[in-house]
Amino acid sequence: MQPYIISLLNHSKETLIDLWQKELESVRTDNYLDSVSDSVYESTNQNFMQFIMRLVSTDQDQAKEQLSSFAEKYIQSGWPLSYYTQGLQAFRRVVLAILSEQESDVQALLLTFSELEAWIDGIINQLVYDYTGNWEDIIEMQKLSLMELSAPLIPVFESITVMPLIGTIDTARAKLIMENLLDGVIEHRSEVVLIDITGVPVVDTMVAHHIIQASEAVRLVGATCILVGIRPEIAQTIVNLGIDLTKFPTKSTLRKGIEKALELTNKKMVDL
Amino acid sequence: MRVPILKLHQYLLISVQVELDDQTALQFQEDLLSKIHVEGSLGVVIDLTSVDMIDSFIAKVLGDVVDMSNLMGAKVVLTGIQPAVAITLIDMGIKLDNVPTALDLEQGLGKLQQELEE
Amino acid sequence: MMKTQSCVEVKNEWGIVAARQAGRSLSKEIGFGSVDQARITTAISELSRNIYLYAKRGEICLGAVERPTKMGMQKGIQIIARDHGPGIPDIRQVMTDGFTTSGGMGAGLPGVKRLMDEFLIDSETGEGTTITTTKWLR
Repeated sequence: MQPYIISLLNHSKETLIDLWQKELESVRTDNYLDSVSDSVYESTNQNFMQFIMRLVSTDQDQAKEQLSSFAEKYIQSGWPLSYYTQGLQAFRRVVLAILSEQESDVQALLLTFSELEAWIDGIINQLVYDYTGNWEDIIEMQKLSLMELSAPLIPVFESITVMPLIGTIDTARAKLIMENLLDGVIEHRSEVVLIDITGVPVVDTMVAHHIIQASEAVRLVGATCILVGIRPEIAQTIVNLGIDLTKFPTKSTLRKGIEKALELTNKKMVDL
Repeated sequence: MRVPILKLHQYLLISVQVELDDQTALQFQEDLLSKIHVEGSLGVVIDLTSVDMIDSFIAKVLGDVVDMSNLMGAKVVLTGIQPAVAITLIDMGIKLDNVPTALDLEQGLGKLQQELEE
Repeated sequence: MMKTQSCVEVKNEWGIVAARQAGRSLSKEIGFGSVDQARITTAISELSRNIYLYAKRGEICLGAVERPTKMGMQKGIQIIARDHGPGIPDIRQVMTDGFTTSGGMGAGLPGVKRLMDEFLIDSETGEGTTITTTKWLR
């Protein structure tokens, strides 16, 4: 930023901060920050304004770094990005107001203002970049965590295993589950696998499709699949969506499923 | 290349150890049917543990061999289909649902015994 | 962009076998797991079988490919199945599940599409068909 602009801003610092503060009040309601206490909002405003004023006289490379670490603090605490973008737009308006009072030459005014614009845009772009980068990282980590919610295959009796499914089943997870399921069937020499969907919140056509495919693959590998844990809402959804599970043995509870599995493997439980 | 077919009492046991090319598969179909005829076999186990790829053509040949054997009075069980193969077939929409399956040779023989006792 | 490319001619059933084997070794080299190796090898088998059935001769070209992603360079395998056969008159029809002209001998192109990540058909009646399909390493 050109030195003459820096001195201009520093010169009008008090008026600038005053006007800017007023503008930041309207930013508050727009961003649902009313629930934040007055003192917290005030102090965040002060921090922000002081920071920007300091940034004006910092050179570009240092400024970038300082901006990113400034942003990181607030990203972590969940402060909305729009506070900053709107706050900086307010800054822009306030500065234009101050400049136009002091500079009557339109050419000079435009020159000064366009420099300022570029500087402010640079800050906004950097903040958006930092915020969205952070969001994308979080999403990636959550995706990985979801994948890690592995679906273990639990042997309960000789030749009978249970796979409890928990959480939403998207295509990527379904592929992983299917491979796990088939490897497990072979490893445990399972004749019957009970897939328990009690922990699956939503069963739509996609999820049902994945579960049906998994059971077809299990059949090819040489075992039988029984679907258990079908809650009443799920049963309604399945029928309403027209999903055909007639070829797929199902039982409402794990217990009934195990009884059926024992039947299929020619075993039964006897009281001693 | 011919796939060896072994006889065990009234059963025929086949363990496919090679990658099935079209000719081998069709030759196998012929050999199996003729052996069923000659031996009067009642059950056949075809183990596919060593097969790492089954495409739609081979799947059809296998499905056909099962139907043809059934017509000749022999029940057939396919065993040992590998997970990678199963997943690929299901991805393509090939379910082979007219074909009984079992995990391995042992379970396959067990299944045949069950069916023949009924 | 294909980094390295090798082509296998398909003019009889042995071409299908050769294409499969080339596909399996390349996909192994690139680092695909056993399930994806099976998918890729089967896709190649289906495509080369189609060439043999409908165009009598053609070629399958395989190559390793790369693309930039947020996480760095992603590797993949690209298969180009090319023939100068009769061409596909109605591509949409051919991509409908269940449609078959060979009496059920092939899995159909929709099946192959499901095995891979990207799938492109370029066909002109009387000129021939080129199918380009790619699978990316996850």
